Amino acid sequence: MKKFIGLTLIISMLFVLAACGNNSGNSKSISTTSNSSTNDKANVKDKKDNVTLSFIHWRGEDVEVLNRIIEKFEKEYSHIKVDTQVFPSDQYQSTAQAKIADGSVGDVFTVFPGAQFEAIANAGLFTDLSSEKFVENFEQGLIAAGQKDGKQYALPYQLVYNIPIYNVSLFEKYQVDVPKDWDSLLAALEVFKQAGLTPIAFPGADIGPGQLMNSMVMNNAPDEDIFVKLEAGEAKLTDEWWVKTLAQFKELNDKGYLQKDAVGAKQDSSIALFVQEQAAILGTGSFHLASNKAANENLKQGLLAPITVAEADTVFEGIHTTTFMLAVNNKSKHQEEAKLFIDYLSRPDVASEYANGTGQNVTVKDVVYTSDELNIVSEWTSKKTRFQPRFTIKNGEVQKAVTNSIQAVLSGVSAEDAAADAQAIVEQQIGN
Amino acid sequence: MKKHLRLLEFILPGLILYAVLFMYPTISALYYSFTNWDGLSPSYQYVGIQNYEKVSKDIIFNKSLTNNIKFMLFVVIVQTVVSLILALQIYKKSKLNVFYRALYFLPTILSSVSVGFIWTFIYDSNLGALNKVLSMIGLEGLTQSWLGNPSLAIFSIAAVQAWAHIGQMAVLFIAGLQSIPPELKEAAIIDGASTFRVFYHITWPLLAPAAAIVVSYTTIQSFKAFDLVFTMTGGGPNYSTEILSTYVYSSAFLNYSFGKAATASVYFLILIAVITFIQFKLLKTDRVSY
Repeated sequence: MKKFIGLTLIISMLFVLAACGNNSGNSKSISTTSNSSTNDKANVKDKKDNVTLSFIHWRGEDVEVLNRIIEKFEKEYSHIKVDTQVFPSDQYQSTAQAKIADGSVGDVFTVFPGAQFEAIANAGLFTDLSSEKFVENFEQGLIAAGQKDGKQYALPYQLVYNIPIYNVSLFEKYQVDVPKDWDSLLAALEVFKQAGLTPIAFPGADIGPGQLMNSMVMNNAPDEDIFVKLEAGEAKLTDEWWVKTLAQFKELNDKGYLQKDAVGAKQDSSIALFVQEQAAILGTGSFHLASNKAANENLKQGLLAPITVAEADTVFEGIHTTTFMLAVNNKSKHQEEAKLFIDYLSRPDVASEYANGTGQNVTVKDVVYTSDELNIVSEWTSKKTRFQPRFTIKNGEVQKAVTNSIQAVLSGVSAEDAAADAQAIVEQQIGN
Repeated sequence: MKKHLRLLEFILPGLILYAVLFMYPTISALYYSFTNWDGLSPSYQYVGIQNYEKVSKDIIFNKSLTNNIKFMLFVVIVQTVVSLILALQIYKKSKLNVFYRALYFLPTILSSVSVGFIWTFIYDSNLGALNKVLSMIGLEGLTQSWLGNPSLAIFSIAAVQAWAHIGQMAVLFIAGLQSIPPELKEAAIIDGASTFRVFYHITWPLLAPAAAIVVSYTTIQSFKAFDLVFTMTGGGPNYSTEILSTYVYSSAFLNYSFGKAATASVYFLILIAVITFIQFKLLKTDRVSY
């Protein structure tokens, strides 16, 4: 018994000593109250204490480029080391909040707009970046997704267009013009079907419904707050705008314009059809332009938003999303260093390196794009687009009910029944 | 008293592990089921039985429960029957049987996430091997949208679950079969009993404890088949493969409603306990002796 008690005491003492060691390390961390990044830089450089920043995100495909950027950052700020952890995006959506909650991980973290941003904001885990100078480096019209209650909590870094990609060569070969309304879209798709091609490669089992719904609904419900109203109980999925959208999805499927068994297709098989030039359109978004090109360097791509109304009734030409939102953890002990890191990423030359290296457009001003794919996207900045409607849905289950109603119509359910089933779930979620 | 303390010392490490890893999370779930905690905020409120009322009326919870029962019935029946048939074929000691046991056991050691990805490719109706093989052998009429058809998807995943664990269950049956004294069967055969009567009156009653373990383990496994469902369909299409574990996950991590997720977990716990209890009673696991 004595040995047991003795051993317990020794282990306890070791824990206490380890904890003291940890505290002493933490006590070196810098705490400055300055809001100016220039002052931050001066303060931090004066003290020259070593700090390890934890940076968490979901872009595994960007790691190589980000590592190069981080290496340069660490050279400039020799006392700061950045420790990056990357998680798959679906895992990140579900676990990031728990990881950053105690401040031990994710001094700098990225966040999705919509439900995840709301949850983290409600939990008070964001540091207010409103008065930081580096906010001015971003296109002011593209950072609203990171704002709440008049405060800039996160800065969207990537600019994505959630618009289907089309094979320009196939359109030219079959002398099909980019459709400007619903009827001409159906006519174009019929041409490809008759040619033995898949008109639209559509991954209905995973990302397809959540992507294509945006451009399908944008002109059926031009009110940009339509899903906000849905969650407020002021609009319903059984209203004409959503039933029409579902009916149009069903029409595309029933006429054989979506790939075979679209509702069971995952993105890999849809992408394969498109890059092998067996499909004329890929129903995802601009984020696949670079990887498609990497898989088939002869591929000539463009963006084509399905217009679901008559040309004269068209309000929006496409959909954009600002995502990969950079934020500083409110529980972090290294907030000033974290801000320096975001400041660094927001420099035009660094953002250009990121954009051209990863093939992703960014929200930072004065960035120079060098690849064809990035220029395809940058052309869209002058067009009339609206923010991705799906990300205006704050409740995850409501979002799922909306996208699942698309899967329902593709499985043979009528548009009216699918809308009614989804509306029943929405009402339960919003407490009506 | 000293003797009791000494005994306590021996069980203490196990007790601590059990308390920390099992008791504490279970009691926590029960506690949070009476709150509206979102999983992030430092504060939350006590909401009484509100979550229990909401969850029991929740459309998605009820769909998940129905799907889970379909999934469980398919897996329990297929896995138990097929593993028993396999065990009866390979329980005798021979080099060939050892090889077969290893072969059947192989899928069990694969990670369920890998199994999920492999079968997603096999089931793919555009590029997958299953439809291609069916077409090649002239059974084109049987080709299906295995994961895209809402009426079929849950059974397609259940078949994978059974495939992955049949070998494991066969091992349990083999252990049970090998413990049956051969003279009992020999005596029955000498008395003129048919193969079926030998199985029905001797093998099966003596195998009942092993069968009870197989059935209850398979049931629990069916309710916990999260990773397979998550990797293969994510609960879709249109909730057709949503099961209780994916419902709990969505509630907690997509909808930030930990109180609701904890409530569903409590229902989940009660359901498994009741089903397992009924199974034990039906299988009459009291040891039979001859």
